[in-house]
Amino acid sequence: MSKAKAQQPAVIHKVIMVGSGGVGKSALTLQFMYDEFVEDYEPTKADSYRKKVVLDGEEVQIDILDTAGQEDYAAIRDNYFRSGEGFLCVFSITEQESFQATAEFREQILRVKNVNSDKSDDSIPFLLVGNKADLEDKRQVPVEEAQQRSQQWKVPYVETSAKTRANVDKVFYDLMREIRSRKMEASKQNNGKIRKKEKSKRKCTIL
Amino acid sequence: MLSGTERSSSKVLTSCEWIHQRLRRIWHSHDIISGAIHTMLKQIVYTKIGLYEKKKNRRSPHNHKLKENLSSVIRHGVDGVEDQDSCCINKRDQVLMITADILSNYPAMCSDGSGCCQPECTSNLPKSMPAEEVMPVIQSNIDYMEEDKPLIPGVTVRAATADKLVHICIESFSKEGDLIEDTEYPNVMYLMHKWFISSEDLAETFIDLYQNCHETIECTKDVCDHLPSDGECEIQIYKAKICYAVRYWISHFPVHFDLDNRLKTVVKRLGSLLLSEGNTSFKELIDLSKVPSYDWMRNMSVRSSAMRHNRKVSLVFNHLEPLELAEHLTYLEYKAFRRINFTDFKNYAITASLKDNAKLERSIALFNGLSQWIQCMVLSKTTPQQRADVIVKFVNVAKKLRILQNFNTLMSVVGGLTHSALARLSKTNACIPSETQKTLMEFTELLSSSNNFSNYRKVFNQCIHFKIPILGVHLKDLILLHTAVPDKIEGKLINFRKMAQLSQTLRELTKLQNQDSIPVCANMDLVNTLRLSLDLHYTEDEIYELSLAREPRNSLSSPSTPTKPVVFADWLAGVSPPDPNTINKHVYDMVEAVFKNYDHDRDGFISHAEFEAIAGNFPFIDSFSVLDADQDGKISKAEMKTYFFRANCHALRNSFKHDFHETTYFKPTFCIHCTGLLWGLIKQGWKCKDCGINAHKHCKDLVVMECRSKQHAGCNRRVDSVSNGPGHQDLTYSTKRKMSQRQKKTRVHQGTQTEEIYFSDYGQMNGEGEFYDEHNTLYTRLLKTEEASDKLKEENEKLRKKLIAKDEKIKLLKSQMGSIRNNTLTYILEQMDSLKSQRHTEV
Repeated sequence: MSKAKAQQPAVIHKVIMVGSGGVGKSALTLQFMYDEFVEDYEPTKADSYRKKVVLDGEEVQIDILDTAGQEDYAAIRDNYFRSGEGFLCVFSITEQESFQATAEFREQILRVKNVNSDKSDDSIPFLLVGNKADLEDKRQVPVEEAQQRSQQWKVPYVETSAKTRANVDKVFYDLMREIRSRKMEASKQNNGKIRKKEKSKRKCTIL
Repeated sequence: MLSGTERSSSKVLTSCEWIHQRLRRIWHSHDIISGAIHTMLKQIVYTKIGLYEKKKNRRSPHNHKLKENLSSVIRHGVDGVEDQDSCCINKRDQVLMITADILSNYPAMCSDGSGCCQPECTSNLPKSMPAEEVMPVIQSNIDYMEEDKPLIPGVTVRAATADKLVHICIESFSKEGDLIEDTEYPNVMYLMHKWFISSEDLAETFIDLYQNCHETIECTKDVCDHLPSDGECEIQIYKAKICYAVRYWISHFPVHFDLDNRLKTVVKRLGSLLLSEGNTSFKELIDLSKVPSYDWMRNMSVRSSAMRHNRKVSLVFNHLEPLELAEHLTYLEYKAFRRINFTDFKNYAITASLKDNAKLERSIALFNGLSQWIQCMVLSKTTPQQRADVIVKFVNVAKKLRILQNFNTLMSVVGGLTHSALARLSKTNACIPSETQKTLMEFTELLSSSNNFSNYRKVFNQCIHFKIPILGVHLKDLILLHTAVPDKIEGKLINFRKMAQLSQTLRELTKLQNQDSIPVCANMDLVNTLRLSLDLHYTEDEIYELSLAREPRNSLSSPSTPTKPVVFADWLAGVSPPDPNTINKHVYDMVEAVFKNYDHDRDGFISHAEFEAIAGNFPFIDSFSVLDADQDGKISKAEMKTYFFRANCHALRNSFKHDFHETTYFKPTFCIHCTGLLWGLIKQGWKCKDCGINAHKHCKDLVVMECRSKQHAGCNRRVDSVSNGPGHQDLTYSTKRKMSQRQKKTRVHQGTQTEEIYFSDYGQMNGEGEFYDEHNTLYTRLLKTEEASDKLKEENEKLRKKLIAKDEKIKLLKSQMGSIRNNTLTYILEQMDSLKSQRHTEV
């Protein structure tokens, strides 16, 4: 069995953490990747954002791209978004501005994704995440407001706390499930279209 | 029990986080720790300790790790339940007690290495302690923890108090003043100290240790007066080492001293202390007078005088060689990069915000500005082939940047070229040679974020000599490291391993900031021109709109961009544009540079042809006649400065945004988008106030034509918005002239829209009353009716007169309108002709 698996490497789901600076994207990522606090964390290691997990009995790999530290580099954000398959859009419930920023992030993601896929613009795997839920007394973004936005976007809304670890696994697993179902849909559609695509590709090369 | 656990836990033994995990799980899953769990916890912990102790004979003990984990649980518990209900406080107390139990019964954990290790001792535990006694136990006398696998040679401290850290630093020096075994410790210590202590306090600590060393250091000599001249006295040796340590600081990190006057004062105090003891030889060691000046770090825009080789280059984009462009971009990049100091990095790592972080913000603004400039330069070209040519040019620039090992600018260029605003241009991409596409792919691969930027990291580490890192990647490392690892452990000990880890990144960055040899000699004129080009600030939305305008989406897909929410300032643009003063300065520098190079006859003016050449650098620059505000056929310095300052506020915001208004046409008019007739009698279509194009209501959002004619007609509006631009008086004449023309136009608008007819009262026509002869009463009624009828007739007459008057007025207005319309039409035609001729000259 292990041999079979070695031949067929686990599917990789690419998750991108977006949100303004200081909302706890990195803390969420680290909590999920390492469960508990790490002593010898090496931020430069190549595999430090990749992890094997079991998703509903199936072994998959999750690849997390944390945009921390690069929120202000507008120029590269666009490229990052293109490589992502699913998005955790994080804000801090203690900071209204970070919540407002999610709208802009969402818009940019939709724009970038629209361009790349010719598939009709049905939803991208996307979760709205309100972090720092442990700081209830400093809350600035009411649950209702966040839920309203998530309904408007037709995406799930989850409140997390990187500190107490509440819902940390949930958001990542929920997102991976969405990515997986999206991929399955896409592969179904593609099976029918492959021939068409090949044809058009050939034409291109001739031109 | 023990053997069972031993078997099952042999896996987890490798990591001592295990206890920590278990404790935290329990902490989060139970509201109150019951007696049973309490016991269980103790068993877990003690068994664990026993196992560690058994391993101890083979390997170094992990006691401090264990203890650190436990205390971290406690801290976490205490932090988490503050201000909460009593049940949680109970819980906190319980965890504290458990830990206190463990600690008090297990001395091995408090003092490194020694103590009993028999698991049996767990069987006779004393009763738990009250919570308030716990903290002293935890904060036992440890002021130092040893590192079991040093990251950096010589850095053997895991965590310690600040005093202890300074002491270790002092002891890193031999009594001759050399570093013992070439330890890196002082380097790391000095580099990183600002993370946990101010430079001033660090220096104070040196003084404290100096003053107190009579008590802390024992002199081994039998008889000793501890005189400075005594080379054998331990106290004097220690004092000498302090001086060596401070000397090392001054000589290796002079910038700390130059920028910090309070630190200087403290060090001078140490100097006078030395003098008062007669230690003249040491006093010289800590002489501050040789500290070089770091003016360029303090001031954002002071120019380094070393870079004044004036090499002849073209300032015109079309004539600019890729190498020249790459070199000058590198020059700008390096200047922005080297100004960012330790505190800037630290603040960004901790707050992840650019607030009060002007130097880092400037660097990021440059990065974003370049990428946007590239996008705009490409999008400013009208045909796919032209756009492709610009892309090819920038790919060549990227190649040169790679050779220069300037990865930050490379990232910016490649980021701009692969941005979705350009990537979506399929017609343009079809014109790019496959070779160029391949190169671009290679660069994308090199800079890809996959595997945590492993490609970039590998290549970057291999590069020697001058190089500029991708700042964003390293900032991310700092942030993650800061998030992952606490600053302090045990509540008071400075986590020095973290400092060592952080120093690996920061040392690399600071080293790269102080590279001596920039392989670039810059032409300041070109630098100034480029700098201003990169200042132009657009938002992502604007650029994307531009892209859509150049090559619209397939008509099949929905034409509208995703629903646009309220604009939250310019957040997404990341960095706010530079402040007006900076821009003013950049404009000034650039204009001076342009005149220096292009005003060949030195008359202080630029001619039409010269202007066309310069305009190539600025996407969407207006035509010559707009810059030439006083219409004398030449552009003066003042005119150019005014224009650029204004252009910066304005950017391309309006280039594609038409100012459509519902309009009634009196002649058959056609839609500019679908070329169909604008149907109907009134309000047939929409007209752009600025450029005068007409469109259907449903077509007006699809119009792809730039709003260009406003260069002429709409110019005055922008002039109005400039209040403080230098030399705006020059503009008043032309402004007035244009204003009058514009007012004519708007009058036409008003005429068409206020055209209403006052017929409302006219409908109330009176009918003649019938005459009956029967009764007086009836007769009187008749009379009354006649009277009423007369009155009505009179009124009718009045109204009729009014109506005629109004009709006449309307006729008058119509004739006026006709003449105005004629004027406007001829004006528009003239404008179009001049535009056409301009285009011809441009082509």
